Amino acid sequence: MELLFITAVPFLLAILLTLPFIRALLDKSALTLLSSLAMAALFCWLLTYIPLLQVESAIEQSFAWVPSLGISLSFYLDGLSLLFSLIITGVGALIFFYAGYYFDDSSEHNRFMIWLSSFAGSMLAVVLSGNLLMLFVAWELTSITSFALIGFKGAKDPASRDGAFKALFVTSAGALALIIGIVMLCVAAGQILYPDASITLVGDISMILQADALAQHDWYLLFTVLILLGGFTKSAQFPFHFWLPGAMTAPTPASAYLHSATMVKAGIYLFARLSPVMHQNELWTSALLAVGLATMLVGACFAVKQTDLKGLLAYSTVSKLGAIVAMIGLPDQNGLKAAFVGIIAHALYKSALFLVAGTIDHATGTREINQLGGLREKMPAMFLVTVVSALSMAGLPFLLGFLAKEVLLDAMLHYTAPWTPLVMLVILVSTAFTAMAGYMLIYDVFLRRPRKRLHIHHPPALIRLSPVLLSLLSLSLGFLLEPVLLPLLHLAVPKAFKLYLFAGFNEVFALSLMILVAGFILFLARKPIIARITFPISCDQIYRELLAYIRWAGATVLHTQSGFVRYYLAIILGAAAAVLILSGTLSTVIADQNLLPTDLSLTITDLAKMSMLFLTVAAGILTVVVREHVKAAIAYGVIGYAIGVIFLIDHAPDVALVQLLVETMATVLIIVMLGRIRAGIRLKMITGLWTGRHDYNLGILRDLGISVLIGGAVFVFALIALQNRHDRDSIAHWHLENTRSVNTDDVVGAIVADFRGTDTLLEIAVFTTAALGVLTLLARGRRSGGVFVPQTVQPTVLHEFDEGVVEEIQDATSLSTPFTRTISRLVLPIAFLIGISQILYGGLGPGDGFTAGVTIGLAVSLWYIVFGYSEAKRLLPWFRPEVITRMGLVIAIVNALFPILIGRGFMGHVEFDMALGIYDIVGSFGLHITSSLIFEIAIAITVMGGLGIIIEAIAYPTARANGLRGETEATAEPDKRE
Amino acid sequence: MTEIMFALTIGILFGIGVFQLLRRDLIKAAIGFAILFSAINLFFVAAGAFEGNYAPYVSNVEADRQTSDPLVQALILTAIVVSFGSFSLVLGFVNIISRRYDTIDSNEITKLKH
Repeated sequence: MELLFITAVPFLLAILLTLPFIRALLDKSALTLLSSLAMAALFCWLLTYIPLLQVESAIEQSFAWVPSLGISLSFYLDGLSLLFSLIITGVGALIFFYAGYYFDDSSEHNRFMIWLSSFAGSMLAVVLSGNLLMLFVAWELTSITSFALIGFKGAKDPASRDGAFKALFVTSAGALALIIGIVMLCVAAGQILYPDASITLVGDISMILQADALAQHDWYLLFTVLILLGGFTKSAQFPFHFWLPGAMTAPTPASAYLHSATMVKAGIYLFARLSPVMHQNELWTSALLAVGLATMLVGACFAVKQTDLKGLLAYSTVSKLGAIVAMIGLPDQNGLKAAFVGIIAHALYKSALFLVAGTIDHATGTREINQLGGLREKMPAMFLVTVVSALSMAGLPFLLGFLAKEVLLDAMLHYTAPWTPLVMLVILVSTAFTAMAGYMLIYDVFLRRPRKRLHIHHPPALIRLSPVLLSLLSLSLGFLLEPVLLPLLHLAVPKAFKLYLFAGFNEVFALSLMILVAGFILFLARKPIIARITFPISCDQIYRELLAYIRWAGATVLHTQSGFVRYYLAIILGAAAAVLILSGTLSTVIADQNLLPTDLSLTITDLAKMSMLFLTVAAGILTVVVREHVKAAIAYGVIGYAIGVIFLIDHAPDVALVQLLVETMATVLIIVMLGRIRAGIRLKMITGLWTGRHDYNLGILRDLGISVLIGGAVFVFALIALQNRHDRDSIAHWHLENTRSVNTDDVVGAIVADFRGTDTLLEIAVFTTAALGVLTLLARGRRSGGVFVPQTVQPTVLHEFDEGVVEEIQDATSLSTPFTRTISRLVLPIAFLIGISQILYGGLGPGDGFTAGVTIGLAVSLWYIVFGYSEAKRLLPWFRPEVITRMGLVIAIVNALFPILIGRGFMGHVEFDMALGIYDIVGSFGLHITSSLIFEIAIAITVMGGLGIIIEAIAYPTARANGLRGETEATAEPDKRE
Repeated sequence: MTEIMFALTIGILFGIGVFQLLRRDLIKAAIGFAILFSAINLFFVAAGAFEGNYAPYVSNVEADRQTSDPLVQALILTAIVVSFGSFSLVLGFVNIISRRYDTIDSNEITKLKH
């Protein structure tokens, strides 16, 4: 639980930073202090685990997540994770503090800190996670947060976007390999640990570390290569190193934190983590050693070529990462001690140097080494920090970097292989170049005379605190070996070892001095040397070529895209039909089934049904062949009615009622909507379609073919389903038998309002959402304060040019005769009566909340059609559909939640009349006041309101923005003219 | 015998719906969309687990009469209302398209923004 909390703290911090009132309450420096204190507190908390880990080898805390797949939310803390998490929180605290003074703009700072704390949490999750699959999730989170941080200035700076994309491209490509490797590893571990196959996938690190035989597993080669790829890309190893210099577009605090101290060490963490079970195999060790050494050399040589201060630091980071990877690759885990000392030393001196670079950039506005110089007097604190840190990087006795180099050389001297001389040479050359880079940092930036006058804008004084503290650590930790570093290292390194800052005048010390001198000679002779450093292939170039190829492929594929959705639909459906037929699915399914009817007798009801079915088909064909839209809409209405009659014949009176009402509503809606679409548009469509275009005949054949195929397939499946449906064990019987328990006679009503009430609750919510969708589409920009503003039409002040008004009057008058007005006025109260009776007595016969809602909705629609929008609004001031809908939903939800209070569970059945003692009174009217009844009322109100929203939105008068309406269009329906 | 008729009707209605969706006329496409809904509802009511000669009421069950399947009916009941909701959304789209693009020919709508 504590480990979960530790991981969660940075995320909580990030959430806290997003809250507006926090930003209003605390200013930038307070937030800075708060966030860095939070990280420092985590650091101290983690320190308290040291005594505990000296007793136990590891602490594990686990929460079940997907137990069936071996995935758990588990946390695992041993010496290795402790080392990394201390670096993350410790360096994090200093960098969080630094960032508060690096950014001048507080909103920019806030945005940055949200990402940076999210990153810190993700990184902690990587090193603390006790499950490889969870580790992977955290791993990807670090990639995503890193992307955001590298591209932080992306809105203005294309290079920043480019760098962010490059980093994401490389690391997530590696992560793809990694996840496959991890899953294979977990399966392999499962096979080893559970030979009886009781558990197939083992993700927990503590379990995997027990699977000693991994190196003998059949898949070893495959998952090793995949995991190595994942780690190499993340830790910027050659040939994937090029993303790291590109990532220098990140704000400097992020570079210091992510791209030198923490994230790039995630791959190293993974290698060290798996090393106990993987290192027995040659492939693992030699790959790590070879790639690590190559990276070390390439990084060191290119570092001195850089003219950008951060570029230099980035390449030297690459070099150091390579050295650490190579150390992990030494046989028998002999290099782990050197690797860990290297990690600590590097985290301290490199983040200090990055922070110096950031401060210089902030002060002078440039990071170009060629333009810098002579900063010693102007920035004395930064000069001292650089001297300590750069010399630590070079390995001057007795700084922490010196210790790191000593143990590295010592480990290498104990490595015996045929190629040892070559390895030794690589290391000597690389470390000499690294020393040279260190000297260059000190001399070029601070000591030599500047090429031009630099204008110094002094940053806040507190910006110096973090780099100074970091360099003090580089300076002192070597001497504090015994009390500080050793306990930590003993926990992290599996073998017993001894470590001295100064082991005497031995060969290692001599080599160390030699390197320093060689580096100095290189520094003196740097001009010709730097000019000669070239590399035949640029990895960055390969990446660019690859990217260009991908873009080309994308562009090529785009040529096949017409952009017309209906063509896509045709292709999808046509392909679906073709697959069904060609694959033989259809024919095999048919072959097994008895499709032909056995009973050919026809009752009179069957004949009635068949005539209705025939009617639907005829009307369906009519919707296709008639030209005019109004006729098609009416034909569609016929389909709906015929289906309603079929429902009635099929003994489904409730459904039939809803169907008839809703189809009426739908048909009305189409016709109202047709009135809102300019007649000329429709006319053009009709004439255009039927007079024919050049692609017309071909297109109609294609569409016809697809429709016939799809319809045929549906026919076959429907036939199979219908012919084989006689299953007497349906749960429908349960509903038939238990409906009495909810005090109603209507089984369908009971299912809707009670047994499956949650479904219905969601469905009225969906309906409301659809209604709101219509409102948003059609009423954009016409609302004020959430409520429609009724326009009172006063014909005397009409402007004849105000087209919206003109049209509205036509709408109002087209059907507004005294007769229709009287009918509308009469219908509304009747509709209400019908609705109320349907709700109250829904349990006894057809009709329920849905039908009640639609009935009233229909009556209201009639008003809108007859009176027009404004007058209807004026005459029915109480009809405010949005308020009504809201009310209905609230009633439904309260009614659903209330039973929880009295212990009946969500949507439980409550008999209010029994509880209130009025059962007999209401019962004499044939009523039962239950929660179902209240739900039915809520459904009715919601549906009524939803329909009101839709009809209001569609009936709202449109003011045309473009287009003068021709006389013909305004006066005559095109459908009538044809 | 009625099964095959039902299946045939469902198949034809489905085919008509698909055909309408594939055509250029957006209003007819909207109607085709609604026809697809109808076909599916029809299928559901026909696919009940059992048939009966009486409506599904408890009084019918207690009188030992064979009722129709209430479950599919309850399913369609709400489906009808929800499909009406989505149909009105489609109509809203057609309406707004006709206003913005001044056409209801899907071939003439070539840009996302107009």
